[in-house]
Amino acid sequence: MNIELTAQQKALQLEVREYMKTVMTPELLEEIKIPEFKEGGGPEFRKQYARMGTDGWIGLSWSKELGGKELSHIEQYIFTDEVVRSGFAYPFLTTESTTPVIAANASAEVCEEVVGGVKQGKVVIAIGYSEPNAGTDLASLTTKAERDGDDWIINGQKMWTSLANFADYVWLAARTDPDATKKHKGLTMFLVPTNIEGFSLTPVNTLGVRTNATYYSDVRIPDKYRVGDVNAGWKLITGQLNIERLSLFTHGQVDSLYQGVCEWAAQTAAPKGGKLIEQPWVQHNLATVKSGLEVVKLICWKQVWAMDQGPLNMADASVAKVYSSEFFVELYRLLLEVMGQAGTIATNSPGAVLRGKIEFRWRVGAVLTFGGGANEVQRDIIAMAGLWMPRTR
Amino acid sequence: MNFTISEEQQSAQQLAQQILGDFTDVDKLKALEQRQESFDNGLWQALAKAGLLGLDIAEDQGGTGLGFYSLTTLCEEVGRTVAPVPVIPVLVSAAGTLRRFASDTQKDQWLPGIASGATLITAALEEYNNDDPTAPSCSAQKMEGGYSISGTKICVSQASSAARILLSAQTEEGIVVALVDPHASGVTLNAQIVTTGETRHELVMTKVQVPTQDIVAIGSEALAAMDWAHLATRTALAAMAVGLCDKMMRITGQYTSEREQFGRPIATFQAVSHRVADCYIDVECLRLVTQQAASLINESHPAKDAVHIAKIWCGNVTHRVSQASQHCHGGTGVDRDYPLFRYCQWARQIELTSGSSAQLTGELGQAICAEYLSKAG
Repeated sequence: MNIELTAQQKALQLEVREYMKTVMTPELLEEIKIPEFKEGGGPEFRKQYARMGTDGWIGLSWSKELGGKELSHIEQYIFTDEVVRSGFAYPFLTTESTTPVIAANASAEVCEEVVGGVKQGKVVIAIGYSEPNAGTDLASLTTKAERDGDDWIINGQKMWTSLANFADYVWLAARTDPDATKKHKGLTMFLVPTNIEGFSLTPVNTLGVRTNATYYSDVRIPDKYRVGDVNAGWKLITGQLNIERLSLFTHGQVDSLYQGVCEWAAQTAAPKGGKLIEQPWVQHNLATVKSGLEVVKLICWKQVWAMDQGPLNMADASVAKVYSSEFFVELYRLLLEVMGQAGTIATNSPGAVLRGKIEFRWRVGAVLTFGGGANEVQRDIIAMAGLWMPRTR
Repeated sequence: MNFTISEEQQSAQQLAQQILGDFTDVDKLKALEQRQESFDNGLWQALAKAGLLGLDIAEDQGGTGLGFYSLTTLCEEVGRTVAPVPVIPVLVSAAGTLRRFASDTQKDQWLPGIASGATLITAALEEYNNDDPTAPSCSAQKMEGGYSISGTKICVSQASSAARILLSAQTEEGIVVALVDPHASGVTLNAQIVTTGETRHELVMTKVQVPTQDIVAIGSEALAAMDWAHLATRTALAAMAVGLCDKMMRITGQYTSEREQFGRPIATFQAVSHRVADCYIDVECLRLVTQQAASLINESHPAKDAVHIAKIWCGNVTHRVSQASQHCHGGTGVDRDYPLFRYCQWARQIELTSGSSAQLTGELGQAICAEYLSKAG
């Protein structure tokens, strides 16, 4: 039992931290002030993403065959943690979740086009799972794909297709067997190029960031864009959920907010003398945040350590999701409370604390407790897989 | 980074599980309670025989030398079985401190007896409104051949049966750590019944003469010794809480899966199962912060913040899991013929021992303040 990073791991952490400072150029910091480019997609984002590709930083966890470095999960997490901490809108769902699945299941031609493109930092993939009537109960989705000779014809609508406004492909789950006895058995995965005829989108502006509704009207794609076997899509979807979560709830992003608020409160005068950080209620909030943050760090470390040992325990994965999502929401509130009224000042307004980052993260954070598997479903899993309790109804 | 425990440590933990399991069936615990005893000497001797009292005692002194981390896994198992054995005051607070800070003569004098189960050395770290043994209000005066100690310690476990009581007192030149003989002149022991139901003692000392041979450390060494004892004790309490809460939650998971109302097991109501799932999350969080604190102490790395955080979680989780378990059991949970009440009593005891969550959150906040004010210059 030794719960500390090794000297090598610390060196990697520092290397990534320093490198990411060069990615967050002054131009990029300006670009992400534009709401449309906040989550990436602007020209400077494209430039820096491609540079990360050229410099060999994309796909570190991939197999050597794919040009990766086969980093362990621990090392991959250290990379992810630092990239998220830097604030760069690195497309983790593209690089870590979908691309390895595509590489393992797609045709050689598509692999070269898509996996090769991702490797060079030129390709971004959006996720097309949710629909207006298929959220937590994802297997009930109705967007359909029908075989027509060597092609597939896709019709339907997807919801919350984030990044689709600048992505190159949508990683789309579609129903190919409407009569399957179990509804999750009739699904197949496709890559839909976003420049194809019949594909369209409308923006959905949320409490936090812009996302999209995407529409598929007689979209015709060749069979090569099918990934995996027909009606075998479910495993491809669920197989990468744990990895997806690992990039959602990293320690560095919230730790840097905590540190930022501590520094701010140590420099800011309290109304009746002394510094804000000397107020007992401020100290209470900061200590509560620190105690909770420590668990975020340890949960992440234990998860990646466990993934290097073998498959992840189902209950543990759900514990990580529920705890982290609920703590993130709590953390935003506790830190905003320290700032008081100033905590409401938005990013581009004068007087915004920490460039309004926490005000913005709180907005985005509203989706955390239901996104990536609603917490109620996670608690059901914990009760069943962790405590052997009967299924609820 | 490595979350596995060694094979040796694993087998020690399994052995502890087995022995503790054998000795703590409900009838045995009940019989002890009826005799108003809070120490099962038979169990203590069985643990000694298996080498489990010497996990953190060097081989030279009759221990196995597996180390502090291994000792915390014994504390976890004691919590899981609510076994009436004083592992924390004797093995952690007293023996652990002696191992690291006493003279070779003192170690040879006391540690083999502790490991073999022949001798009990306990510790008295708390005073009224003061859980910090590095800043005691008990006072000590240097005199010919040793120190004269006066003052009061509270809730001392095994005070009347121990050969010595390890404690600290304030002198004009810093603190002193001493082994006080409970039978020495000037010592008064007043029985105190605490939440777990056990009898502890208020230890009142009036000019108790402690000979030089029973002085463990003075000045900065004494400060380091009490600092270690404080951190180690808090960490051991958190480890005990891991076992305790894990078991409470499992009892509750099982009970709600069997108990039927409205024609179905109550665990099939999400309102019930989610409350137990929340306990599961809490216990996992507590386990992680406790493992971190214990492994840092084991490696002799700085552990202050990690221990603070572990004890904050310990207080919060013991409270939450205990209340949720009682609630989900309905009336069955409070019935003394059902085992849960013991766990709930221990939970409250551990929560309020060696610093509550509110106090430690306050102290952690002050430490954060000091850290960032000094950075801000």
